[in-house]
Amino acid sequence: MRTLLLVFAASVTLAAQGAAPQVTPQDLLRGLEDPGKWLTYGGDYSGTRHSPLTQLTPENVGQLAAQWTFQTGTLGSFQTTPLVVDGIIYATGFNNHAWAIDARTGRPIWRYRRNLPDDLHTCCGAVNRGFAALGDRLFMTTIDAHLVSLDMKTGDVLWDVELADFKVGYSATVAPLAVKDKIIVGIAGAEFGIRGFIDAYDAQTGQRAWRFYTVASPDDPIGGRTWPPNGDAWQRGGGSIWVTGTYDPQQNTVFFGTGNPGPDYYSNAREGDNLYTASVVALDADTGRLRWHYQFTPHDVHDWDSTQVPVLGELPINGQPRKVVMFANRNGFFYTLDRATGKVIVAKPFVETTWAKEIGPDGRPVLLPGHLPDEEGTKTCPDLGGGTNFMSPSYDPTSRLFFVTARETCATYFAFDQKFKPGEQYESGGTTRPRDQKNFGALRAIDPVTGTMKWEFRYPSVSSSGVLTTAGGLVFAGDGDGNIMAFDSRSGKNLWHYQLGFAMRSTAGTTYMVDGRQYLLVPSGSMLTAFALPEQRTQR
Amino acid sequence: MARARTAMHLLVLFPSLTLTAVLAAQAPKAPPAESPARNNPHLGNKESIRSGMALYRVRCADCHGLDAKGYRGPDLTALLGDMPDEKLFQTLRKGVTGTEMPGSTAPDDELLLVIAYLRNMNAASAAEPAPSGNVDNGQRLFAAQCTGCHRIGMRGGHLGPDLSRIGAARSRSALVREIRTPAEWFPPGYETVTLVTKDGQRIRGTRKNEDVFSIQIMDMRERLQGYLKSDLREVIYEKDSLMPAFTAARLNDSDLNDLVGYLTTLRGSDHAVR
Repeated sequence: MRTLLLVFAASVTLAAQGAAPQVTPQDLLRGLEDPGKWLTYGGDYSGTRHSPLTQLTPENVGQLAAQWTFQTGTLGSFQTTPLVVDGIIYATGFNNHAWAIDARTGRPIWRYRRNLPDDLHTCCGAVNRGFAALGDRLFMTTIDAHLVSLDMKTGDVLWDVELADFKVGYSATVAPLAVKDKIIVGIAGAEFGIRGFIDAYDAQTGQRAWRFYTVASPDDPIGGRTWPPNGDAWQRGGGSIWVTGTYDPQQNTVFFGTGNPGPDYYSNAREGDNLYTASVVALDADTGRLRWHYQFTPHDVHDWDSTQVPVLGELPINGQPRKVVMFANRNGFFYTLDRATGKVIVAKPFVETTWAKEIGPDGRPVLLPGHLPDEEGTKTCPDLGGGTNFMSPSYDPTSRLFFVTARETCATYFAFDQKFKPGEQYESGGTTRPRDQKNFGALRAIDPVTGTMKWEFRYPSVSSSGVLTTAGGLVFAGDGDGNIMAFDSRSGKNLWHYQLGFAMRSTAGTTYMVDGRQYLLVPSGSMLTAFALPEQRTQR
Repeated sequence: MARARTAMHLLVLFPSLTLTAVLAAQAPKAPPAESPARNNPHLGNKESIRSGMALYRVRCADCHGLDAKGYRGPDLTALLGDMPDEKLFQTLRKGVTGTEMPGSTAPDDELLLVIAYLRNMNAASAAEPAPSGNVDNGQRLFAAQCTGCHRIGMRGGHLGPDLSRIGAARSRSALVREIRTPAEWFPPGYETVTLVTKDGQRIRGTRKNEDVFSIQIMDMRERLQGYLKSDLREVIYEKDSLMPAFTAARLNDSDLNDLVGYLTTLRGSDHAVR
């Protein structure tokens, strides 16, 4: 009997050792080609959130119906993009809870819960934007500024490393990006006077491979002179990373949008352009070395983090195919940049912008007077939430349209001098909504070659929902009032809606196939809802 | 990436938030001995007062007005004269139980800056005169002209806001403004709409909620109703309030004074604002 048990144990061990890892670097390179997978925050490395699935079409999407819901049973809202691997959903939630869930039924399989300290410093809630997956492991940042690796099969912690000290204001919410053998993450906390960075860690060991600071030190040859020459403003210069970047395997380059400089509003505290805040940075994926940067908002004083996904694509520019980065920025301008150099190809407002006349030939905004916040208050459009924000856009390479949730807003901005104390909020100002201001939201389709709007669908209130597109010719997006909706991607015609009971905030739909059915998965509030066509319609 | 902070950290928000009454209700309690307001380094400091002004404008002015004389919230220049700084600090920090006025998680220093600004403002400005008027006549006027739409306690209509605590929630000037020109500002949930059905029927009421696809109203018969916009020909957002403008021709200055005098006595049944 003992011999038999040993043989059995040995064979199980061998089987486990021989099993192929569930997510390989090649899987990540293939992105959404496997219809049963959604492996990274933006769906694939390009960040387009465009699925090749075609079962749902403009003709049948009106029949889409809820199949199941999953309730977290915890406080706080989802801001996550769930991953889908071989029929199982892996989702992170508020306060660093996380779950493995059956994608067919919504039944939970395991749950991870982190013991968080009481004295957290967060500007914007203990939210989390999702896992990265590599091998048989999941990777999650934590609100107390750690990076943890979990066993995909059990939710057990494999390693746990500190990114920075949460006690002085550092936190982390970003979904990591797995590239080759590394896990790339960023830090947040700019509202507390931190110095932002992007890190890469060895996926096996958790050892840090490289760090790129989003706030240049004085000895930085490019950005060093963009901070006050005397003093230590750069040491608390902000530059949070809130949203996952993208990756170009051919250039071996990762692209990340960087957050606002700190303090948020008070110009005199940090004269200069304040590199590399409010920018997109292109980094060597192996070393973290800066290849190029483009600063959307030099010396930002309106809290306009460039916390949007740098979407990668290829466009015909002057008759020639060109690899580009598309970026709908919080400052209200839509940009198409050259992917190899960061040079501006197109820059046009996609919402009302009163602070800059245009983006000049040198790539810098041509500022309009009267928009520097002070103690009296100055009115500027857009508001601090921006023309868009942390919600993901989507790019459909077939229709060649870029879809974004736009916010039409204005604010009165105030600024004042504030003494910095480690661990305390350090914003030096704030905003109010002008009494006569009527804000609203819209889903907008933008031609990234010209920057012009092709269609829009307006909402009565502003929305923080991300966007998903599919090769079936559909756009999925949420309004600010709890509806998830489907649109014809070419015309903008609304085709379907469902009231979720809670608006999608920083979440977007994802889609995957299980058992021959295409599901639309939507996180909102503390609930996941899975939609599909009625079963008989998909039977073959 | 400051989000929602503006709203979350507002020190005062909506009409029923009665800093006035709460401060009065809390009066017997002694402030904590270690209150940071006991030694406020910003009092009288010119730079601090300017910073405090900006903070006040961001977090307080929406309800209390740029001049702190009250807008939808109460007149602070009238309230704060006899209040120790320690108590004011405590109220800003903790908020007001039972109302929508939240506490603040802002650093102590920011609250001290706001106090420095308010103290400077109080020294520079005269408070609004105390409420006056014939309260009995005001009550009669209210019963005759207002109870059809407004409730006090359990009596009155539902088309307009509940006024049970309006005396603690509004400055006198705000009450006058809202009686004379009610269309100047609609409380959330009381905007006037007319829905036109596909067969031409017109349904008037106050808008309670709305999204892209539906609208929820209280109609003139005080029925809560929901409509699909796809079933409507038109949704008309009216500029006028359902409440008529009580101009001088309709309510003379003396009666207005009496009515406002009565309204300022309404402090509600909530123990937190009694």
